Amino acid sequence: MSTLLEVEGLARHYPVKKGVLVQRQIGTVRAVDGVSFSVKRGETLALVGESGCGKSTTARLVLRLIEPSAGTIRFDGQDVTHAGGAAMRALRRRMQIVFQDPYASLNPRLTVGDAIAEPMQVHGIGDADARRAKVQELLRLVGLAAFHAERYPHEFSGGQRQRIGIARALSVEPDLVVCDEPVSALDVSIQAQVVNLMKDLQARLGLSYLFIAHDLSVVKHMADRVAVMYLGQIMEIGDKRSLFRDPRHPYTRALLAAIPHPDPARRGKVTPLGGDVPSPMNIPPGCRFHTRCPFAQDRCRSEAPELRAVGSNHAAACHFSESLPDAGLDYSGGLTEAAARRLALYDAARRRAA
Amino acid sequence: MSVASLNSAAAAAATPVAPSAPRRPGTLRRLLREPVAAFAFAVAVLLVLAAVLAPWLAPTDPYDNNLSSAMAVPGTEGLPLGADSQGRDMVTRMLFGLRVTLVMGLASVLLGGTVGAAIGFIAAFYRRVDGLLMRLMDVLLSFPAILFGLAIAAIFGPGIPAVVLALSVATVPLMARIVRGAALVVMRMDYIEAARATGMGDARLIFRHVAPNCLSPIFVFATLRFGQVILLGSALSFLGLGAQPPVPELGAMAADGRNFLFFAPHIAVLPCVAIFVVVLTFNLLGDALRDALDPRLRI
Repeated sequence: MSTLLEVEGLARHYPVKKGVLVQRQIGTVRAVDGVSFSVKRGETLALVGESGCGKSTTARLVLRLIEPSAGTIRFDGQDVTHAGGAAMRALRRRMQIVFQDPYASLNPRLTVGDAIAEPMQVHGIGDADARRAKVQELLRLVGLAAFHAERYPHEFSGGQRQRIGIARALSVEPDLVVCDEPVSALDVSIQAQVVNLMKDLQARLGLSYLFIAHDLSVVKHMADRVAVMYLGQIMEIGDKRSLFRDPRHPYTRALLAAIPHPDPARRGKVTPLGGDVPSPMNIPPGCRFHTRCPFAQDRCRSEAPELRAVGSNHAAACHFSESLPDAGLDYSGGLTEAAARRLALYDAARRRAA
Repeated sequence: MSVASLNSAAAAAATPVAPSAPRRPGTLRRLLREPVAAFAFAVAVLLVLAAVLAPWLAPTDPYDNNLSSAMAVPGTEGLPLGADSQGRDMVTRMLFGLRVTLVMGLASVLLGGTVGAAIGFIAAFYRRVDGLLMRLMDVLLSFPAILFGLAIAAIFGPGIPAVVLALSVATVPLMARIVRGAALVVMRMDYIEAARATGMGDARLIFRHVAPNCLSPIFVFATLRFGQVILLGSALSFLGLGAQPPVPELGAMAADGRNFLFFAPHIAVLPCVAIFVVVLTFNLLGDALRDALDPRLRI
């Protein structure tokens, strides 16, 4: 698989100013602070982390909806960071975005058909008839009916709107779709619907996804690789299987341990993270996670750890990733044998009853 | 829903039995469905028709005076609404006055509103010029409309064009502020970011995505301002800066009738009633139009 998107040292710093007439800078919010990753063709890279860790900013930086302060973005070998007018337009056709809030991401004054056709119109794809046919095809592709094209967004439910947003993103046949928490605003049953649709579309159209999420169970279902962000930097990145089976960063472990688990035997073994995320205006020196890390040592307070390989296709930014004590937790979602048997019995009984 | 069932659902939707959406009523039809809106629309049409057709509808020439019937009360033989202090037929004067008043109000709101809205959108969209433009608007806001009227009348000479210009200039900063505020809210919405992500130009973004979503406050303010502008125009006429004496204008007529309020109240009251009807009608119509244009309120 060839690399589609390559991000190197991407950063976005916001100056914080004070004063009415004479403004002086009193600090910097480092929303994204040197992030590097790549996405291969047909692959899904999930970006996870707490609220405010810079996931969404990273997504918008990749699409240059926000101008980066530093770093480079290469898309299919082309430099995105410095692309000018026409080149950027051509690139925009190949990268699209799906938003978190389906109630805010569709223009209430445009019919669904117009909204889906608009990206094609902007890029001069097809004539009006061809576009209308394509809109109907896309609507069917996302499980809606052709006549829905004449309706307005307020006539749809959240899940349906999200699927309209997906259809709009797909109308120009992009290579990369950046999904900014595409299901976190939806009900759980609708989440499954949308996630499965996205997976299905990926298989059919060979899409690559940059999938932003904070729900790890969704990530586990969607992603091929996972990058864990904390305070604007990647703490751990790796193959989904390897990362979920054997997380090598204390923060990843804490996140994984926080997934609700059906095994009651785990209770008591999980210690949730204490404290709050420090302000991105005042990032702790050394390892930025040391203020909350249960394993922090003196070295962590002074020296920032590099993101280094801890296995094939797996890297973590922790000085002690090899020597982390085993918490005795199975992060892969497996159950103890007894619990699994009980669940299977319960499942069988329920099926008989139905 | 599994992938397989999704595909079958898609296939089912593709079969020719797909139902078709019922036809939606157009904007005008939805406007007329509301009784109040329909009434306001009908009155507005009548007012405009009366103004346009004034030369044909009016029984006499608006400048024909007959001092023998000066201040004749309504109902006098041949003068259903009486005559003014110069003995001119009030029906004729009102029809021609309506004409001048409507043109003055509409022209000021359209001219000032368009320029103001454009400045508002530019300020919201290009934040670099925002500070400069808004401070300019603040300067304009600090002058009362009457002062503009005085200045412009001094430069171009008094008359209806001077009034329209003055009222337009006085409308610009108000509309600019309102539009800028509305546009700033709209521009924070995700659909604007989605539109940007498609790579469209600024003009398309503003006209297709930002402006249509700012229509509600624009309509409300424009109709409100229409009433204010007519009253301001009357005030300018009263000061002698607007419509010059023989020219019939509702505000000027009301001012003229002020001197005879005790002997012939109809000379002042009738133009005031006309102003009231015009302002009320266009306010109601503006409200109804705003609702009819909003797809979210469609049934």
